[in-house]
Amino acid sequence: MAKTIIIDPITRISGFLEISVNIEDDTIVDARTSGLLYRGFETILKNRFPFDSIFITERICGICSTAHAVTAALADENALKIEVSLNDRYLRDLVHGFEIMQNHLRHFYLLSMPDYAKINSVKLASDQMYHDYRIPEDINQNIERHYVESIELSRMAHEGAATLGGKAPHSHGIFVGGITVNIDPYKLEKVRSIIEKLLAFVSTSMKEDANVLATYYPDYFEKGISYPNYMSYGMFNTYDEAEITYVKPSVLIEGVISPLNPDLITEQVKYAWYQTDNPTVADTKKEDAYSFIKSPHYNNLAMEVGPLARLKITGDYKGGSSCLDRNIARVMETEKILRIMVQIVTRIQLLRSNQKKYEIPQNAVGAGLTDTSRGTLGHWVNIENHVIQHYNIITPSVWNLSTKSNEGMAGVIEKALIGTKLNNIDEPVEIGRIARSFDPCVSCATHIITREGTDKTIDILV
Amino acid sequence: MLDRLQEWQLSKLKNSNNIHLDKENLSIQQNTDKKKLNAIWLELTGCSGNIISFMDAENPGLYSTLTSLVNITFSNTLMGAEGESAYEKFLNTLDTEFVLLVEGAVSTADDGMYTIVANYKGKYITALDAIRLAGEKAKYVIAVGTCASYGGVSAAAPNPSASKSVKEVLEREIIRLPGCPSHPDWVIGTLAYLVNFGQIPELDDEGRPKLFYGVTIHDNCTRRGFFESGIFAEKFGDEGCMIRIGCRGPITRTDCPRRKWNGYVNWPVGNNTNCIGCANPGFPDAMEPFIRN
Repeated sequence: MAKTIIIDPITRISGFLEISVNIEDDTIVDARTSGLLYRGFETILKNRFPFDSIFITERICGICSTAHAVTAALADENALKIEVSLNDRYLRDLVHGFEIMQNHLRHFYLLSMPDYAKINSVKLASDQMYHDYRIPEDINQNIERHYVESIELSRMAHEGAATLGGKAPHSHGIFVGGITVNIDPYKLEKVRSIIEKLLAFVSTSMKEDANVLATYYPDYFEKGISYPNYMSYGMFNTYDEAEITYVKPSVLIEGVISPLNPDLITEQVKYAWYQTDNPTVADTKKEDAYSFIKSPHYNNLAMEVGPLARLKITGDYKGGSSCLDRNIARVMETEKILRIMVQIVTRIQLLRSNQKKYEIPQNAVGAGLTDTSRGTLGHWVNIENHVIQHYNIITPSVWNLSTKSNEGMAGVIEKALIGTKLNNIDEPVEIGRIARSFDPCVSCATHIITREGTDKTIDILV
Repeated sequence: MLDRLQEWQLSKLKNSNNIHLDKENLSIQQNTDKKKLNAIWLELTGCSGNIISFMDAENPGLYSTLTSLVNITFSNTLMGAEGESAYEKFLNTLDTEFVLLVEGAVSTADDGMYTIVANYKGKYITALDAIRLAGEKAKYVIAVGTCASYGGVSAAAPNPSASKSVKEVLEREIIRLPGCPSHPDWVIGTLAYLVNFGQIPELDDEGRPKLFYGVTIHDNCTRRGFFESGIFAEKFGDEGCMIRIGCRGPITRTDCPRRKWNGYVNWPVGNNTNCIGCANPGFPDAMEPFIRN
């Protein structure tokens, strides 16, 4: 029997997402993910002062603003040929690291956990329509307590980010040339203390809870499997020391790993709400289109990005690539990054801010690429006559929430849904659980624009 | 003797509290049946950074606010329900006494199709639909953040989504809590006033509570002494008033210098950067370039 199920909004993500699936018997045979928020940041950035991109692009996303600040600064630094000192890179990676901790803690507990455990004391989180709760009451109580603790710990992660970055979200310290903070012994000790508290929780409670999910929802090792293609632009990857390095810019395609080649990134718009002839202009009346999110590819392949992709690339994650694998990988990564942050803290020198006066060149191009909480983030800037002539942003969720290719190849989350068997067709709880395992962010996802034509390599990649 | 006994009882109580604190707290919260004011937290055309900032609240934190201060029935970021069931929680709240917290601007381009908050019975509910539905029925409307208050970054030139402030689409009194994001204390402080005093706090001409927006950043700035002494920074990291590199402290009315952010640990000027005027009506266009070094 064929049936269509539409879930809109997919809540407990950032931004507005609709998922529509076609079901035959009890299996999803087709899926469409629709990002339903468009602001047009590339258009907004045109003609602005180049350094303002750091502050404007932060405002793309409230949960990963620091990532945009870092990437915008990288693009400006690339355009201005500015080197960032080792100490400033340490500090910047700590601010970014704290943001990722905030993100992963909130994702695992506040956004994901209400799918699996009853958060009885928070009516807003527990008041919902599905009944597939399998965790015994005493263990569920532990998880609920951890949910409450995660609120304070994720707040504290942002306190760590603000200690070095002024405030969070929308930091005031990541800037061209490094970071503005004057690091002193008290700030460093505060940061160390926060990292240790986070690590104490993550290495015990959060890992236990991931194990609980694996114990009581083992069928989710079979649900939500997407393409065996993974990509990372690198994270904690500018150091010589292996001890504080996480992942280098790489792709892993059907088990074969190779260095990232950004020239192989292309995008298509057949199924996105942009004019076919001029994809810089939105067109919600376009036939066949169903999302504000385009369809990016690497060597013509849809690529998964995020914690699972990173740990697959480094070889640290030996498991599969399901809904549950994705959630477990995120928890493993949370601990891994904290352990790197512990090491970075021991290397920081107490130096005053070393900001300089920077001249904006008349013409320049720059690229900033890094991995962040949800995966690969790229900013590309083209400066003409001392102002931004063109700005291009490709966020992690553009990859995971990609629409179908011109030839009909499903996007990454679409692929994860297709083939998944529903346990109870009247309570399709799998759809939201699978989507959330990618931690999708529509606030971020709806921004890619090319200067010309469809199906072209993004022409300002440098 | 009586004192000793009381002391002993108290210490016993204290110890048992320590052991069972979490569990007890949870059960107290569960069993507290007091009537709380309903609230809808409506995310519209923006970055959802205000609810993230709201989660960064401390004493009362998010948990305490959700369980003791207001009964939030709808929040895209936090609610357990999804799909039509989630939207029905929004609809069901409209017939109760509730406060509407809005973050994000209201995109109006293409009949509102640039921001769709739900699909209900086959019909897209746009940001414009949602704000009109809830805005007319709410007891109080609070615009949280600069996008909801003034349009903000979402409405930055050339404003591709034709985003408007909440005030521009609703003809009624709006409490504005601008800031990018709004400080969690400003939101919780305003909610606490509404809940505990049953009325709107004293507002300025812009609709901002004077409690939080009464004085400019410059007036309370930790670097005010440098300004008075004529010592000015030429770039980030210099000691001195940052007015010459673009500080908007003199025209920005918030209590950032005294309150500070994220556990009261730091703020932009404290981190060697100038105020970019993120709580102002003209933000970002009228505040740029942000840094003039």
